[in-house]
Amino acid sequence: MRDVGEKLQNIALVGNPNSGKSTIFNQLTGLRQKTGNFPGVTVDVKEGRLRFPGGSREAMLSDLPGTYSLYPTSSDEKIVAAVLTNPADTHYPDAIVYVADATHLEKHLLLLTQLLDLGLPVLLALNMSDMAAEIGIKVNAAKLAERLGIPVVSVSGRTGENIQKLTTEIEKLLLTPWQQRKPFYSLSEPEKQIAEATCLNLNIKNTYQALLIAHHRSWLPFLSGQERAILDTITQDKEFQSLRAQVDETLDRYDLFTPIVQDAIQRPPQFPSTPTDRIDAVVTHRWIGPFLFFAVMLLIFQAIYDWSTIPMDLIESGFSNMNVWLKTHLPEHWTTDLLTDGILSGLSGIFIFIPQIAILFFLITVLEEVGYMARVVFMFDKTMRRFGMNGRSIVSLISGGACAVPAIMSSRTIGNWKERLITTMVTPFISCSARLPVYAVLIGLAVPAKRIFGVLSLQSLTFGSMYLLGVLAAFASGYAMKKVLRTRELSYLAIELPVYRIPHWKNLWLTVWEKVSAFVIGAGKIILVISIILWAMARFGPGDAMQQAVVKAQTEAIAQQLDETAAADLAAAYQLEASYAGFLGKLIEPAIRPLGYDWKIGIALIASFAAREVFVGTMSTIYSIGSSEDDVALRAKMKTATFDDSGTPVYTLATALSLLVFYALAMQCMSTVAVVARETGTWKWALFQFAFMSILAYLGAWAVYNLFS
Amino acid sequence: MQRRYRTIPDLKVHESARALSFEDPALAGKLTAMGLLPGTLIEMVRAAPFGKAYYIKADGIRLALREEEAASILLEV
Repeated sequence: MRDVGEKLQNIALVGNPNSGKSTIFNQLTGLRQKTGNFPGVTVDVKEGRLRFPGGSREAMLSDLPGTYSLYPTSSDEKIVAAVLTNPADTHYPDAIVYVADATHLEKHLLLLTQLLDLGLPVLLALNMSDMAAEIGIKVNAAKLAERLGIPVVSVSGRTGENIQKLTTEIEKLLLTPWQQRKPFYSLSEPEKQIAEATCLNLNIKNTYQALLIAHHRSWLPFLSGQERAILDTITQDKEFQSLRAQVDETLDRYDLFTPIVQDAIQRPPQFPSTPTDRIDAVVTHRWIGPFLFFAVMLLIFQAIYDWSTIPMDLIESGFSNMNVWLKTHLPEHWTTDLLTDGILSGLSGIFIFIPQIAILFFLITVLEEVGYMARVVFMFDKTMRRFGMNGRSIVSLISGGACAVPAIMSSRTIGNWKERLITTMVTPFISCSARLPVYAVLIGLAVPAKRIFGVLSLQSLTFGSMYLLGVLAAFASGYAMKKVLRTRELSYLAIELPVYRIPHWKNLWLTVWEKVSAFVIGAGKIILVISIILWAMARFGPGDAMQQAVVKAQTEAIAQQLDETAAADLAAAYQLEASYAGFLGKLIEPAIRPLGYDWKIGIALIASFAAREVFVGTMSTIYSIGSSEDDVALRAKMKTATFDDSGTPVYTLATALSLLVFYALAMQCMSTVAVVARETGTWKWALFQFAFMSILAYLGAWAVYNLFS
Repeated sequence: MQRRYRTIPDLKVHESARALSFEDPALAGKLTAMGLLPGTLIEMVRAAPFGKAYYIKADGIRLALREEEAASILLEV
C-alpha cells in the first residue's frame, strides 16, 4: 500500500531498559513484525511495519536493544551505538521514537540528549503516563516539548492509550524537515579538538558523532584498520582520557536536563512505600527468596510435562493418521516413501515440540515481564560467579531447559567476555526439550516402574537425575573454564530491579509466537533436511544389496509363516541393515561397543548428531516398526534385541543408562553449534565445545556402562 | 582513627547516605548513566540471600550491586 518506488523510511525505537519499549513496539506493529539481522554485528533485532493513519504510507520500525547511554558496557548495548554512529548502516534511522518511563523521567533523559546531539529527528514518547498519574506525578507534556524543542506524546503501552496519536506524530516527524539545533552538551576543549580532527580525517559532519567514534574506535565494526590507526594517533596526541570524559559528559548532561524535568513535572515529595517494596521483602528475603525460586522452577517443570501431554498426543496421532492415510491412498513408489517416511515424519518431529516450547517460553516471559528475573540475578550472582559466570547467566541456564539456541542468544546482556563465553559454553549441558523424548523412551525401557516408599516413582526419579546431571555438568565445566581462562576485563553486576508489573498479554503471546515460529522455521528446517537425508540413507544401499535383503526377508517370512505386516517389517529391517545407513552404523560399531551399543544404535547416534530428537524416529525405523508410531511398540522391540555376534541382549540396564548419560552430555544439535559460532564470532569455540562435550559424553557413558554391567 | 569516608556496605538496613564520588571510573560511567550520581541519596534495603551483593534504592530506582561495586561508591559521613 506504500507509495510505489519509494524506499521505506526507517524509524528506530530507542530507550532505557525497562522503559516499556517493547510494549510500545508491539502496540505499533502487532503481528507485522519479524526478527531481522544487523549486518556486521551479528545480532537479531526486531523489525516491524508501521502503518500510518489513512493506510497509504508505511515505515519500517526497528526495536533497538535497551541502553542507558551511548557509552555501552555489553554487546547488546553496543549495537545501539554502532548503528547510530554510522549513517551508512542499512538500519540507520530517518527518525527516532525515544521511549521514556514517565514515572522516572529524571533518570531517563540522558540518552535522549545524546540522540539530539547526533542531529537525529527525535520524538519523545512518555510511556506509563497512566501509572505516573496514579502515583501522583503530573507531567506537563507541552512544557517538556517546548523546553526540549521536540514533539512529546504521553502514551500508555499497557492500555494502548494515545498509540494512534503517536503514529500520527511519527508521520509528521518524517514529513517535516528537521531543524538542526544548538547541541545540548558543549564539548570540553580536548573533546572538541579530537572531534574536529576526527571530522576532518573521516569526513564526518556531526561533531558528537565524531566524538563517539573516537571513544569507541577499538570495537566499532564499520571502521577500517586504517581509520582505527588514524583515530589512535589523534587520541594519543591529545592524551584523551576516555573514561573520565564519559563521566564528565554524563554529569554535565544531568545538570542540563534536570532543571527541565523539574520545571515540567510535579511529584509528591516522598516516594511512598510501594507494592514492589512489599513484594521484594518476601521475594528477595534471605530464606524465603531462594526457597521460592526453587518452587517456581518446580512449577515450570511440572507445567512442561503435565500441560503439554494432551496437545502433544493430538499432534502425534494427527501425523500418524495422515501417514497411514497417505500410504494407503498413494501408489507404492519411492516418492510416496519420501513424502511419508521422510518429509512427514520430519514434520512430525518438529511440530511435536511446539506445546512444550510454547509453555516454557510463556512462563519464562511471564517471569521476565513481571520483573522477577532481575531478582533472581541479584540473589544468585554470588553462586554463579563461583562457577565463572554472572548473575545474568541464570536467565540463560533456565531458558536452556527449553532450548539452548535462544538461551545462548540471551547471554548478550552479559558485559564481561569471559562470563558470557562460559555461559555460552555450558548452557547446552542443561537438558533441553529435545532430550525429553529420548529420556522417555530409554527410561521406560530400562528403569522398572517401581515406587520407592510407595510414593516416589523410580522412573521420575531417574528423569530428575538426568536434569541434575546436566546442571552438575554445566557448573563443573563452568568452574573448570573459570580456572583456565584468563581475562583482565572487568565484570559488573549493577542491574536495575524494575518495578513489579502485571505482564501485558500482547507481549506474552507475541513472544511465544515469535519463539515458536523461530523454532519451526529455524530448527525445523534442519530437522526436516536431516530427516530426508536419513530417509534416503536408509532407503537406498550400495549395488543390489537392497534387492537381496528383500529376497532374504521374503524367504524367511515364508519359512516362518509370518503375516503380511510382520513380513513387511522384517523386510524393512533387513533393508536397513543393507542400506548406506546400516553400513555406516557397522563402520562405527567398534568405537561404540565399549559403551554397550550395537550398529543399530550407531545409526541413531550418527543421526542424532544433527539433532537429538531424531533418535526415537530412527530407532523405530531400525526396529522395523516404522509402520506404528508408538513408544510402547518400540520399547517392546528394543527389549528383545540382541547383539548380532554374541546373541546377548543389547538393552540391559547398563546400556540404557549409558545411552541416557550420552544423550545428556553430548553436543548433538547442529543449530546450537551454528548459534555458538555466530555468537562468539568464531568457529573455534563452537568446535571446542563440540569436542569437549562429545569426549565428556563418551567417557561418562563408558564409565556408567562398566559400572552397571 | 575515624575513617573519613563510608561506603555502601557500611550502611545498616534502611540507613541512608548521600553518594560523594566513585572510585572505579568504568563503573562510574555505568552507574551515572543509570541515574546514580554524586549527591544521590542511597538507602540500603537488604543484602543478597547468599551475601556478596546489596539491594539499594537510589532516588526512587532500585539497584542490585556486588559487594566490590558497592564498596567503590564513597558516601558522606
